[in-house]
Amino acid sequence: MLNLAALLWRRLLRKRWVLALVFGLSLVYFLSSTFKQEERAVRDRNLLQVQDREQPIPWKVQFNLGNSSRPSNQCRNSVQGKHLITDELGYVCERKDLLANGCCDVTVPSTKQYCCDGCLANGCCEAYEHCVSCCLQPSKQLLLERFLSRAAAAFQNLFMAVEDHFELCLAKCRTSSQSVQHENTYRDPIAKYCYGESPPELFPE
Amino acid sequence: MKLINIWLLLLVVLLCGKKHLGDRLGKKAFGKASCPSCSHLTLKVEFSSTVVEYADPIVPCNETRWSQKWQSSRPLRRASLSLGSGFWHATGRHSSRRLLRAIPRQVAQTLQADVLWQMGYTGANVRVAVFDTGLSEKHPHFKNVKERTNWTNERTLDDGLGHGTFVAGVIASMRECQGFAPDAELHIFRVFTNNQVSYTSWFLDAFNYAILKKIDVLNLSIGGPDFMDHPFVDKVWELTANNVIMVSAIGNDGPLYGTLNNPADQMDVIGVGGIDFEDNIARFSSRGMTTWELPGGYGRVKPDIVTYGAGVRGSGVKGGCRALSGTSVASPVVAGAVTLLVSTVQKRELVNPASVKQALIASARRLPGVNMFEQGHGKLDLLRAYQILSSYKPQASLSPSYIDLTECPYMWPYCSQPIYYGGMPTIVNVTILNGMGVTGRIVDKPEWRPYLPQNGDNIEVAFSYSSVLWPWSGYLAISISVTKKAASWEGIAQGHIMITVASPAETEAKNGAEHTSTVKLPIKVKIIPTPPRSKRVLWDQYHNLRYPPGYFPRDNLRMKNDPLDWNGDHVHTNFRDMYQHLRSMGYFVEVLGAPFTCFDATQYGTLLMVDSEEEYFPEEIAKLRRDVDNGLSLVIFSDWYNTSVMRKVKFYDENTRQWWMPDTGGANIPALNELLSVWNMGFSDGLYEGEFALANHDMYYASGCSIAKFPEDGVVITQTFKDQGLEVLKQETAVVENVPILGLYQIPTEGGGRIVLYGDSNCLDDSHRQKDCFWLLDALLQYTSYGVTPPSLSHSGNRQRPPSGAGLAPPERMEGNHLHRYSKVLEAHLGDPKPRPLPACPHLSWAKPQPLNETAPSNLWKHQKLLSIDLDKVVLPNFRSNRPQVRPLSPGESGAWDIPGGIMPGRYNQEVGQTIPVFAFLGAMVALAFFVVQISKAKSRPKRRRPRAKRPQLAQQPHPPRTPSV
Repeated sequence: MLNLAALLWRRLLRKRWVLALVFGLSLVYFLSSTFKQEERAVRDRNLLQVQDREQPIPWKVQFNLGNSSRPSNQCRNSVQGKHLITDELGYVCERKDLLANGCCDVTVPSTKQYCCDGCLANGCCEAYEHCVSCCLQPSKQLLLERFLSRAAAAFQNLFMAVEDHFELCLAKCRTSSQSVQHENTYRDPIAKYCYGESPPELFPE
Repeated sequence: MKLINIWLLLLVVLLCGKKHLGDRLGKKAFGKASCPSCSHLTLKVEFSSTVVEYADPIVPCNETRWSQKWQSSRPLRRASLSLGSGFWHATGRHSSRRLLRAIPRQVAQTLQADVLWQMGYTGANVRVAVFDTGLSEKHPHFKNVKERTNWTNERTLDDGLGHGTFVAGVIASMRECQGFAPDAELHIFRVFTNNQVSYTSWFLDAFNYAILKKIDVLNLSIGGPDFMDHPFVDKVWELTANNVIMVSAIGNDGPLYGTLNNPADQMDVIGVGGIDFEDNIARFSSRGMTTWELPGGYGRVKPDIVTYGAGVRGSGVKGGCRALSGTSVASPVVAGAVTLLVSTVQKRELVNPASVKQALIASARRLPGVNMFEQGHGKLDLLRAYQILSSYKPQASLSPSYIDLTECPYMWPYCSQPIYYGGMPTIVNVTILNGMGVTGRIVDKPEWRPYLPQNGDNIEVAFSYSSVLWPWSGYLAISISVTKKAASWEGIAQGHIMITVASPAETEAKNGAEHTSTVKLPIKVKIIPTPPRSKRVLWDQYHNLRYPPGYFPRDNLRMKNDPLDWNGDHVHTNFRDMYQHLRSMGYFVEVLGAPFTCFDATQYGTLLMVDSEEEYFPEEIAKLRRDVDNGLSLVIFSDWYNTSVMRKVKFYDENTRQWWMPDTGGANIPALNELLSVWNMGFSDGLYEGEFALANHDMYYASGCSIAKFPEDGVVITQTFKDQGLEVLKQETAVVENVPILGLYQIPTEGGGRIVLYGDSNCLDDSHRQKDCFWLLDALLQYTSYGVTPPSLSHSGNRQRPPSGAGLAPPERMEGNHLHRYSKVLEAHLGDPKPRPLPACPHLSWAKPQPLNETAPSNLWKHQKLLSIDLDKVVLPNFRSNRPQVRPLSPGESGAWDIPGGIMPGRYNQEVGQTIPVFAFLGAMVALAFFVVQISKAKSRPKRRRPRAKRPQLAQQPHPPRTPSV
């Protein structure tokens, strides 16, 4: 065993190109792994950085994906609903009317697109699914863009990770730190899902 | 006495510390208490040579002194559940040697995670989120930290406490103290500051991010008593509904009952309790039923499962290992196990919060001699859970999966008292888990099928259940009662309930299709003839209020560390010892969860009212008066109520960021006085404290009131006490003599009942009780039930003339209190709150029986497992024979046992991820040196010693080294 190693050493490793190769590969690996770690560190720190007021946050939200870019005829949907569910085309339907591809069955009369039932003028709705559907209206795009441009630093983590109109509506309609007073009560226990800019109206105690 | 307590506590803390840091093997003898204002302690424990160090950051050190500072800014409601608060309740009574022997072990190996590792499952492609105190960057134990986010107001992502690092380590550490799933994607959410502060709003935003990131498993080693925090509770439901498997710690407030923490007490969450390595329920582990359902209903069974939570080893803040205890530790053990389990499932669409919970509870190993409100379904069994999950078919199941009211001790408290005709129905709160879909419903109605050969027709059952099972779960409450024809019958009755659960079939092309699952719930009860009236005691639950939602202060004002009355005040929670005592004395205890107008007083000897905070409907007051005239007796254990003290004990609640003012005192004396006024009785707003002896029993009066007025012909006992009101308000000490504390009165009319008043409830309450007065309760029940005045009381030297109450202003309700917000009796009104209209009494509609002429299986438990699962079919590779034994660490042994060789797949064991850059760098340096030597044209051969020494290690690379390299 030892002899073999000695032989290998003499024959192979004394050749310059072998050593050069070993050196080069090692250096490349060393540098790349070092850089990879630094990259991660930078991403971590980004989340904490306070953004300058002037510098808009580079949102990756893309609104005008349209139907064409969606893969096949599968739909993402709002997943969680107790009775209702909203698909990414803005249709709200009962859970039993959800098709196997994740889309609402549009042939059922109770299925509605861009449904704002139970939504108030301030952009807050009674049902999460209606909030998402209402928020998906193409006309709400301006409102959402304006919201993004003013989004508080606390929401950057969330909305920086959002990629399109549907994800933005799913995230925006959820109850959040904006929805509560005294931490443990809703500002408005009824219309608490908001796609708009303002928090829910403070419910009189 | 106080000093002894201090030392007991210190001893417990230090003994616990021994087991925490048992891995530090340097034989230096030093130890340090972690709180900065405490003096550093040096202690050498005589029975071993190992170091004693208590490293927990949250030892309360101002506790031992009676301080007059009543304001508390302590975050009350949600705290990370490491051991600090857990051992706080340790009084030292049971600081046994067993605790000391609990040697920290590798928890993943103890649970046989290595079997799954060898099969190639290491948690890969599972996203697991840790909501905790953060994690430092480049911690050497973690290979796949995907993201760290901070949701607090502190500008750091790092863990300053060690809690978050430890929890993450138990889940996913890859070296030293190994976690369960080293390849899982770790998402670190920092939601606690280094001062352990956290707010609901931080959680809400962080939870939203977790949903967006499609987290699979989420560990919450946190908890608090506030299950009325609707935004938080709703959000946890929302996470579950989005397919996030929530695992949470049940709390560190044991051994007291009624101490379950939210969110672990939610039915959609996997609530985890703690055991030690000898399979005893850890003392700190919270237990008892959930208290959401009180007063009308009965609580759910929690925790769901238990696992190791005492002396578990996990990652230290900067690397290395340390041992910690607490349900905080047990929770990530389950979260890590779940992460590993999820990675073993080929068809990921089968994994959901319900199916995982079903697999865990169906596979859990029941611990002997422990009831279900302490151990849930038993101890986590990772490999059996794997077997069940690998052959899982979507279905519904029930928790508990059968109802055997005769089985002791598992079905305590049901097994502690048989049922009889005319008693309050026994309620069992069953949780339905539905693995078929996030929503579901019960088809038609549950069916009741009594077994005729086994007298099933002697009981009636009624149901109430969730109209929609969401998210993945629902409840089925079963009320069981005895039929009239069995009023004098004794024996066992059996039957079963059938329920069918349906969920929309979303994977099928056909619209409107449903999956269904039918579950059978066997029932077995013991029936006895109705006991005589004198033996039956009715506990008033309806008039007990508690935190949450309002601030109802503790009954013992010295317990400023735990200022809220939050344990439910039920005979099966914090009045459990009293209940056990009454049962052992032959009394039958029933619970009244409705107004006084809703019970038949001719059935009961005594109505027991302890520490009542609620108001009374005028109709109740009138009815109770008639009942007492007709022979019902009344025993009232009151508590303090003093508006000045109430104003003094207000505090700023960090969690809700507002001042909290109590809505009553320990009890609601103005309301009680209204109830008692017809008999010319009443309590005062005095506040007294002290030790005394009564009838040769040592007693302690902890923050109680006195009797202000009592009828002339009654018996009144007085004592000498400290005026605690003065102490609290002005820090002055004054002794008051002849304080009337106990009054006994016989209604003079023919067949009239008896009334007993006592001014303090602390001696019956398990929380913070110092001396019990069960003997007194016995004597009082003898009096109320049989009219026998105990001679020890009637001939007591402390008997005095009853106070007339003349010249004393009766206590008034505190102005501006918000009791009406939480009261079932009052409603807001212009001016003073007014009573609501009297609610209708609860009415049960009994299910129509569908009798069966069959016999029940003899063992109900064994028959109740998940359907269509044959455990033998799932073969585990036989790795156990060559599995290295996980041995306890003996003193003097080197720390090298940390990585038993060959357990993990080689690449982890060799720490390739970390060492390759080093090897590469070294290689590059060697090559460089060689070139330098070549270029300088030296004649002699370059030194070969170093590279040759390296070679054997490189050559061995395909095989895992036998010796661990740390």
